[in-house]
Amino acid sequence: MGLGRVASSLIKCVVWDIDNTLLDGVYLEAGPQPPPADPVLLGVLRELAGRGILQAVASRNPPAAAEYVQQLAGLELAAAECGWDAKPAAIGRIVADLGVVPDAVAFVDDDMVERAEVAAAWPAVLVLTPEDAAEAASWPQFSPPVVTAEARRRGQMYAERRRRQAAAQAFGGTRDDFLRHVGTRVAIRPATAADLPRLQELSARTQQLNSGGEPVAEAELAGLLADEVHTVTTVWLADDFGDDGLVGAAISEPDAAGAAPAPLVVRVPLVMMSCRALGRGALDALLAWLCRWAATAGAAELVVPCRLSDRNVPFRLALAAAGLRAEPGAVAPDGRAMFRRPLSGELPALPGFVTILDAK
Amino acid sequence: MTEGRAHDRAEGSAASAPDALAATVAAELRVMLAEVTSRDDLLAIPLDTALFGGGVGLDSLAGALLLRRIERSYGVDVAAADLNLDALGTLGSLADFIADRI
Repeated sequence: MGLGRVASSLIKCVVWDIDNTLLDGVYLEAGPQPPPADPVLLGVLRELAGRGILQAVASRNPPAAAEYVQQLAGLELAAAECGWDAKPAAIGRIVADLGVVPDAVAFVDDDMVERAEVAAAWPAVLVLTPEDAAEAASWPQFSPPVVTAEARRRGQMYAERRRRQAAAQAFGGTRDDFLRHVGTRVAIRPATAADLPRLQELSARTQQLNSGGEPVAEAELAGLLADEVHTVTTVWLADDFGDDGLVGAAISEPDAAGAAPAPLVVRVPLVMMSCRALGRGALDALLAWLCRWAATAGAAELVVPCRLSDRNVPFRLALAAAGLRAEPGAVAPDGRAMFRRPLSGELPALPGFVTILDAK
Repeated sequence: MTEGRAHDRAEGSAASAPDALAATVAAELRVMLAEVTSRDDLLAIPLDTALFGGGVGLDSLAGALLLRRIERSYGVDVAAADLNLDALGTLGSLADFIADRI
């Protein structure tokens, strides 16, 4: 039983066995028609998917078994590991592919030996019997306090990502050509109060493309949105594979020390973006827009403080690509470095697929 | 595979000419770039090709994949050693940066 871990953190991904767990029988032994679903567990899977918890399968079956589960559930799985190797290896691939930590993974299997193997190899994973799982929807670690529109589509987005990655590998042209080829659309617009839950979620969940490194409470974000000093800007991303919704944001402010007649400096205390936007031009677009917007406002310099970590190297790559530089010797004790660039001369280009909106 | 080769070369590097080492690294980097971007045309880029912007158009994703491969192959953590990632200026500057550290 997993009840000893009730106080633990939220589960972000459930990995299900198929035979005698999601299905009422064994997929390959049922004759011409595959066995029917276990209605209770399939209902739990659908309920948890609706709460933004990723649903995956790990099964000793051909891939068609996962497709059959998707048909029964009427939704796309975030990951499917079908094959004949041990379940701990399948869990390892799912964890790596989805970018979740083992503490946030639950595993459901009717087979005691499989459960024991996973529990031994992945002590942080919450291992459940089908009987446990039938109750799981009422447990706190399966009940996220806020479910945003983006969270509800999360599993679907991973399926879209798989198709997009396959297309990118087959494409062979430049990244910008690929982004245009797949109908990439980036919209940049001021944040509204309706965006606050998602902004809080982004601040807590993003790491690779996050300059601040710590969550920001929704009330604090509301304060930043309401005051006259800060500008909260959101980034929305979609392409022909699907709509990712609100994927990122920047919070900027004029530097108080830059009062006239000294040249105005625009500081950007926080930039954050979902890793789903990696490689899709959205962060480059946001940084280019910040440069251009600050320059239009009369600023001579853009400053982006960034807390360095081994997780946010992708963010630093975007800063470097946008021409921002920090003084190597001047890293603060908290790991923060000030990346800056002058706003004279040629500014980073905004690709044609970026739309700038004034308000919703 | 690459790991073993890089290691062998590292041990012999004291005796070999630095330019020859950088040229070998550059050749291997072209293969890595072609793989992380799925672009075979990068196998033939000259040393002065810019990695960001117009040349290779390296972005956060491809850049992070490239840095991970460099660390695995040569044991050089570019992001830890180079705050501004200036090493990623051109193919040649990146090859020199790595050759100086193996």
